[in-house]
Amino acid sequence: MDDLRDPRKTLGEALVAAAEKNKNIVAISADSSSGSGLTPFHERFPERHIEFGIMEQGVIGFSAGLATTGKIPFAVAIAPFVTSRPFEMFRNDLGYMRQNVKVVGRCAGLTYSDLGATHQSLDDIAIIRTIPGVTVINPGDPVDIVKAVHAAAAHVGPVYIKLGSPKMPVLMDEDYPFQIGKGVVMQEGNDVTLIGTGTVLSKAVEATRILKEKGFHPRLINMHTIKPLDRELVLKAAAQTGKIVTVEEGYLAGGLGSCVAELIATEQPVPMKMIGIDDQYCDTGPYEELLAQYGLQGEQIADTVEQFLA
Amino acid sequence: MQKLNDHEKMALEKIAVQNRKNVLRLMKAGRMGHIGGALSAIDIITALYFKIMRVDPQNSDWPQRDRFVLSAGHKCLALYATLAEKGFFSHEVLDTYGALGSKLGGHPDMHKVPGVETNTGALGHGLSIAGGMAMGLKMDSLDARVYVMMGDGELAEGSNWEAAAAASHHRLDNLLVFVDRNHLQISGPTVDVMNYEPLDKRWQAFGWGVREIDGHDLKQIVVNATDIPFEKGKPSVILADTVKSKGLSFAEDKVGFHYWKASDEDLAIAERELDEIEEGIK
Repeated sequence: MDDLRDPRKTLGEALVAAAEKNKNIVAISADSSSGSGLTPFHERFPERHIEFGIMEQGVIGFSAGLATTGKIPFAVAIAPFVTSRPFEMFRNDLGYMRQNVKVVGRCAGLTYSDLGATHQSLDDIAIIRTIPGVTVINPGDPVDIVKAVHAAAAHVGPVYIKLGSPKMPVLMDEDYPFQIGKGVVMQEGNDVTLIGTGTVLSKAVEATRILKEKGFHPRLINMHTIKPLDRELVLKAAAQTGKIVTVEEGYLAGGLGSCVAELIATEQPVPMKMIGIDDQYCDTGPYEELLAQYGLQGEQIADTVEQFLA
Repeated sequence: MQKLNDHEKMALEKIAVQNRKNVLRLMKAGRMGHIGGALSAIDIITALYFKIMRVDPQNSDWPQRDRFVLSAGHKCLALYATLAEKGFFSHEVLDTYGALGSKLGGHPDMHKVPGVETNTGALGHGLSIAGGMAMGLKMDSLDARVYVMMGDGELAEGSNWEAAAAASHHRLDNLLVFVDRNHLQISGPTVDVMNYEPLDKRWQAFGWGVREIDGHDLKQIVVNATDIPFEKGKPSVILADTVKSKGLSFAEDKVGFHYWKASDEDLAIAERELDEIEEGIK
């Protein structure tokens, strides 16, 4: 937990590495390319970085057109502006047209904590996962980010990758086998399963540690892929631990918790608790304090789980 | 630049009439469809596929091919009619229009219909996609061109103007847009519903080379479309003045024929009119 890395810098470096291997990869930005971590890419492959300015509908459409010619565009921009704003382009031009475009929404969740509800992206997973054929990845740590970029580049089809902006602790082994659609058991346990994703995976890790200290035996899963959901892993956890808690930095409506609930309600009903943001526009303030306001700090998650188990 | 002689013009006119007959065949099968915009755009689409574009119906994914993007996807009857005539699929497929499971829906699907390049229907998407195609072709140093058909009512979608700016900024001079300016949209004259005139000045201001033609004059279509870029380093747009439902006298320039629910009697009259047009070509 002490090795902290910048997610956008990590993204940019991974994208350069992927582009070294695959000449079809191009980077697309909608202004603020340096804020999207694309400076190293621009320096290494200036002719493969295409700037569009602030036109996210255009960015998605152009990316789709580029993909028809064999390019693999990675379009990186502030999360709500490449998801909710051009949603119809995402659905029709990438989803319906099945184009090989990777959209990276950065500074997602509450990480634009000071900029308010227009910039906080809490609905991106909920809306993008409704699009048939789109893969949705929410990396839990910097290792996941690197692996997600390479996996997305190798995967043929539209992918959405959600990133935060504050530095993230390294939680995963550098050489672990990342596979799209396969969650990772980080801690075995048998009395409850915590399923964490994305920026708050580290909070779920902390909660797991606290719960263990208190004598519980929680299982912890890193669900880095929201869609396709690792059904087998979730159903096994439901059957073996009997209770499930999901942890995410996003709206409960339509997010990871919803995905898991949709599955277990029909296939393996067990008691469940969903931790995330309920139906509201969030306040502004320092990021960690904002997380605490919505019960997303490790100790708070541990308390919630303890009450749930009581 | 390519000029049509009178013989070539006559031959192309005959194909255009045949394509209109194919549209009627689709209508006969499906009984309803966006006839008005299909018939205002069909002379341009015919000229593109039979005189202008480099395409191979036997190899529809050929990387060096020219691309056609039907941004106004509801004009698809004209595209289906032309693709069948060009040999991308058999004419019998036209008879499935409107049936459950047909490859030919009310808007085109690239994964179902050979020769269709994009899934359009929602307006204001095609130009961005076409821009991306033009950009990708340039990056690979391919000399293929990208042609786009847009409606004049469609131009009210703001996304078009994002794309127009980007195409100009990135100097996509391998891109040609036709605006099918039939002056009507579903609820009335385009200038009354949402006025985007003067279109020539708007496109010029966005950095495009602009020409205005009669969109039913095959000579004008071919000579201009084979003369791009109109200005060095710029994308090109042709504002094509057209008549909605062109070729069916009872429907021409009538708002009510944006979408047509055709009776047997209507279709019989329409067929006779097209026969008369065909007989008059000389």
